Amino acid sequence: MSRLLPGCQRYAAGQFFVGMQRRPTPFDFSRTPFIDPKPAHTSLTGSPPNAKFAVMSVPFIFGEALALGLASGPACMASCGPVLVPSLLAERAGLRLNTRYLSAFLGARFLGYLLFATVAWALGVLISLPSAPRMLLFGVVHVLLAGVLLWYAYSAGRTCARSCASSELVSIGVTKKRGVPGAAALGFLTGVSLCPPFVAAGVRAAGLGSMAAALLFFAVFFVGTSVWFVPFVGLGCVARNEAVTTVARMAMVLIALYYAYLGFAMLIGRKVYAY
Amino acid sequence: MPTKVEMLKLAETPPRTIGRSLLLTLPIALWSLLMFANPQRHPNRSMQIAGMITAVFMIALFFMMMRTRSTYRWRRWFFVALGILFPVGFIHTVIAMRGTMGLPIEEMIAGRTPFCYMPIPLLILPAAFTKSLVFPGSISGMAGMAGLWLAVTLVVGKGWCSYACFFGGIEEGMASVSPRAKVRKIDPRWRYGPWAVLLAMVLLSLALFEPAYCMWLCPFKAVSEYVAARNTVGMVQNGIFIVLFAGLVIALPLLTKKRTQCAFFCPFGAFQSIFNKTSVFDVKIDRARCSPCVLCKTACPTMSLTDESIAKGETLMSCMKCGACVDACPKNAVVWHIKGTEIANKPERARLMFLYAAWAMAVMFGGSIITEGLGTILHVFV
Repeated sequence: MSRLLPGCQRYAAGQFFVGMQRRPTPFDFSRTPFIDPKPAHTSLTGSPPNAKFAVMSVPFIFGEALALGLASGPACMASCGPVLVPSLLAERAGLRLNTRYLSAFLGARFLGYLLFATVAWALGVLISLPSAPRMLLFGVVHVLLAGVLLWYAYSAGRTCARSCASSELVSIGVTKKRGVPGAAALGFLTGVSLCPPFVAAGVRAAGLGSMAAALLFFAVFFVGTSVWFVPFVGLGCVARNEAVTTVARMAMVLIALYYAYLGFAMLIGRKVYAY
Repeated sequence: MPTKVEMLKLAETPPRTIGRSLLLTLPIALWSLLMFANPQRHPNRSMQIAGMITAVFMIALFFMMMRTRSTYRWRRWFFVALGILFPVGFIHTVIAMRGTMGLPIEEMIAGRTPFCYMPIPLLILPAAFTKSLVFPGSISGMAGMAGLWLAVTLVVGKGWCSYACFFGGIEEGMASVSPRAKVRKIDPRWRYGPWAVLLAMVLLSLALFEPAYCMWLCPFKAVSEYVAARNTVGMVQNGIFIVLFAGLVIALPLLTKKRTQCAFFCPFGAFQSIFNKTSVFDVKIDRARCSPCVLCKTACPTMSLTDESIAKGETLMSCMKCGACVDACPKNAVVWHIKGTEIANKPERARLMFLYAAWAMAVMFGGSIITEGLGTILHVFV
């Protein structure tokens, strides 16, 4: 691995941070594949190899997770956009309300990330989930996503029919009810979907020494990707009227149909492309 | 209150003299002859004849527009011909090139997928994020089509949908077949359909990194090039294309006398509506003359007139400038208009300026397609 990242090898050889003591860290990063312990034994300093690696690798790995998140952000945005944009537009206008919606969405998405990472780590399948359970899992996730979107579209219609009063699902803008089930459900389901940036982070996190380290990696990665979602708050400035709400609801139905197709195709083990 | 028939009679305006009409037709006649009458431009005799027929056809229609001062009914002949003859020429070309109407993956990998203007709005976001065009066609083909579209659109706005789009003609023809609409009550919220399809397709195209509309929802795949289905999914896709075509392009226009695909579904039409803001031409309603009898609202094939918009004296931004409302108004209250001028200020001059721009483009773009289709048919006999 050190051949892949020569910069890491330089750190591992202790050329810059000679003689630093190992600090107690809650996470063990000594098994990170970025740092090959073997060359460290030949270090000129003669100090225990893992001490320096751990000290050096913590900020490095978190920096890497952040950078990976920031770099993957557009792909995350593209992946979650079909769910997030119409559902945000179906909500009421206002920066504050949209910020709350987005917070709920991202919070639940974060939980989805962590849950997926935890389970996948525990099962030892973070890098490569076997085909059959993967198809089953993502088939179910897509069908659920389609179901929630359809329900959301229906609820948004009811909401508007009652002068934007609350309904059981779309309740972001209601002051009395602070429930956020719609945003949370969509956020969670997009969190457990296997989008390409998530796979990239999973491959990297799988090489870390412990589950806690992997989860922390995911958390920092998530922060990096979430920066790209901030502009979505700006949709709160779009004036809401019957036209915007109807367009958002119709778009949600179309997207839901596509997800339903994907989900069912995965569940019955069919290819999702014609070629 | 006069009856509709009386009002229509009131609307009858004296036709132009033949000499004046010919004079007004002269620029278009020269342009048409330049485009199609040169035998050197065409590869064989059937195409030469087709070119001549097209030139005469386009000149005759424009002459009638000048003579009768009516736009819609003459434009419709051109538009229906364009809609019917486009598949003829296109299918012939793809079969000659690859032996099938189906688009196989090999052609896509080779970047030989023909590019129409429909995916333009779907390519913008992926290109912005990744500097890649998510369409398996050649750059030169895409650039040519996009450049032509942009040039025309900046001038005529959504007039593109009435003078250049080679898909809308079939449904316009279908809408003209029935003398009366069987279905008259249409929920106006369906007008938001194109925007919803546009939003969904733009987002899905970005997420899937493919022109999602072309892959899943384009009704005209049924009469151009379908997916070369090699598995169930391909069959499903083709099934969707056929059902959408049969429903939106054949059945619903027959029942409603509206261009239902354009009005309720086409995402490119929604995108094109934005450019109605940049075009200098629009259609206005002179409130001083308006009764309002709402004949214009009934005549509009895309439901781009509502009671509210009529009260404001304007059309909705989805107006395709087809001229149906202008022709239908018995009091000449619905007029062509150049932005920044008074509504009542010589509307016929505004109409002429718009028609010269739109028809010149129609001759160049649509006329070429008509020639191609006609030449294909004539090739069987000549």
